[in-house]
Amino acid sequence: MLSKLLKVSALTLLAYLLQATTAEYLSLWDIAPGLALAVIAVVTVGLGRKYTFLMSLTIGYLLEIMLPMLDYLALILYPVCCMLGALAFSDKSERRLEEERAAGRRARQLDPHIRTPLCAALSAAVFEGVNLIYVYLSGVTLDSGHFGRSLVCVLYTAAIAGVIQFPIRAWLGVYKLAKAR
Amino acid sequence: MKLKVPKTERKRPQDSRLRRILRRALIIALVVGLMGLAATHLLALITGYDVLAVPEEGVSAVMTPLQTGFSTVVDWVVDYLYTLKLRARIELEYNQLKTENEQLVYDAMLAEEMQHKLSVYENLYDEISVNESLNPLVATVIGRESGNYFSVFTINKGSNDGVEDYMAVTMDGAMVGYTYNVTPTKSTVRTIIDSEASIAALIQSSRDQGTVRGTLGVDGTPLCRMYYLPEDNLPRPGDVVVTSGVGDLNDGRSFPKGIPIGTVRESTRGMESNKQFVVVEPQADFQHIEYVIVLRYQPVAQAVEERASTDAGISFTPLDSPVPVPTVQIGSDFYQLAPTPTPSPTPGPTVTVGEDGQEELVTPAPVEPTPDPGESYEYQVPDAAATDMSYGFTLPPTATPSPTPPPLDLSVEED
Repeated sequence: MLSKLLKVSALTLLAYLLQATTAEYLSLWDIAPGLALAVIAVVTVGLGRKYTFLMSLTIGYLLEIMLPMLDYLALILYPVCCMLGALAFSDKSERRLEEERAAGRRARQLDPHIRTPLCAALSAAVFEGVNLIYVYLSGVTLDSGHFGRSLVCVLYTAAIAGVIQFPIRAWLGVYKLAKAR
Repeated sequence: MKLKVPKTERKRPQDSRLRRILRRALIIALVVGLMGLAATHLLALITGYDVLAVPEEGVSAVMTPLQTGFSTVVDWVVDYLYTLKLRARIELEYNQLKTENEQLVYDAMLAEEMQHKLSVYENLYDEISVNESLNPLVATVIGRESGNYFSVFTINKGSNDGVEDYMAVTMDGAMVGYTYNVTPTKSTVRTIIDSEASIAALIQSSRDQGTVRGTLGVDGTPLCRMYYLPEDNLPRPGDVVVTSGVGDLNDGRSFPKGIPIGTVRESTRGMESNKQFVVVEPQADFQHIEYVIVLRYQPVAQAVEERASTDAGISFTPLDSPVPVPTVQIGSDFYQLAPTPTPSPTPGPTVTVGEDGQEELVTPAPVEPTPDPGESYEYQVPDAAATDMSYGFTLPPTATPSPTPPPLDLSVEED
């Protein structure tokens, strides 16, 4: 328990640092990926909503106080986006699976390696959507360029999540846990 | 013996209730702490109280050096990767620039060659423009004899271009040599430094005439010697030697007059086989001959001789004269006189017996001699071509030959 907590803490710190210092160097057509969202998506699928909330809140808070772009934005948006992703793509509990079976529905889940980029894409899409709405409400006329950049960011973030999920899941011991089950 | 149980089958120790409570409490504490920090931050933003910003500043104080260090590492990695990328790009650009440089060097060499050619062509054009009356023709040197005794080279113009034997060849306005051994597509040029070359020349200042011959086969030097100069005049060093325009009509070696051959090197006369000579330094640069100009010049006398070969006849209209002139035939019967009609003798007085028996002296009336209708007094000029006669000169053909007058009959009256 403690080791997992420490690993998550280190991963949280790493995600924040990557987002704060490295993301700009990984720009594709001047569009930086959401590295923090990608790492959180991996944790979401691998460890669940509880750690997702802790991690997203911490990263949001650090980004809010260290890289204040807009007041309240990162602090509120990161937990919201990540929890939405967790709501859709995190592992279902045994109790929920039992409930679905009892309700006569097919109780099955997508492969976690597929859910991870989807979760990252959903989080990034919500994040970009809120940003676009904010920009639009600020008086900027949205055009295809805005949506194109948002789409590229979402896809880029999902792709990064799909790539980095393997080392992170291995480091967190998710594969050992799955094999033990 | 103890069997090793696989990891997957190992039983995890059951968490005690206390541990679960502690874990849950820790999680709750973390969540509460984070929520508290967030709430403090929000309140600090809303209310603006500095006290509420203290936790935020504490976190910031902890995170700033950490972030600085991490940023330094990231920057170092990025710089390293950028250096690698830059090095690869520099190597690529180096190779491109190297290739481009080689191409530019080649282009520069080509441009320099083109510039040289342009300069040569300009000189040739100027020379051609000056000597337009001499029917110049530019030719390229395509072969060179590099021996020590002869100096000849081959040009890419031949009889198809109107080149004939013994036509003057010049370069930069100076005499180079003359053509010989002309074929339809090429010609050989013997330069004036060749000891086989012989050109009639004169010294421009004193107008003394002589013959210039090459010395390459004599002593191995690319110079010329001028023979047969008058002994009473001594040329000075630097006197210009030009072609005299005098030539032998038989071999056609007659070049235009006034083409510079060279300059007199020294006034001291040398002696070769009892012949005095002065050394003439050629004006042309025989080491760098690339293009030459062939002066397709035809001497006037030669042109007239060519016209003699035409079939155009000459006509001659004799003057009217009361005196009978014997017929002069020019041709195979050169200056042979036609037979002169012999006058019949005048009959003398005869004695006749009249009807009355007396003798009478009768003088007959003079009888006019009647010329033989088959004989005509006319000038018959034989055809020169038909009789192979050579008069040493040839009259120019007339455009429309005048009709030959009818035979002239001359009646000779008895005195």
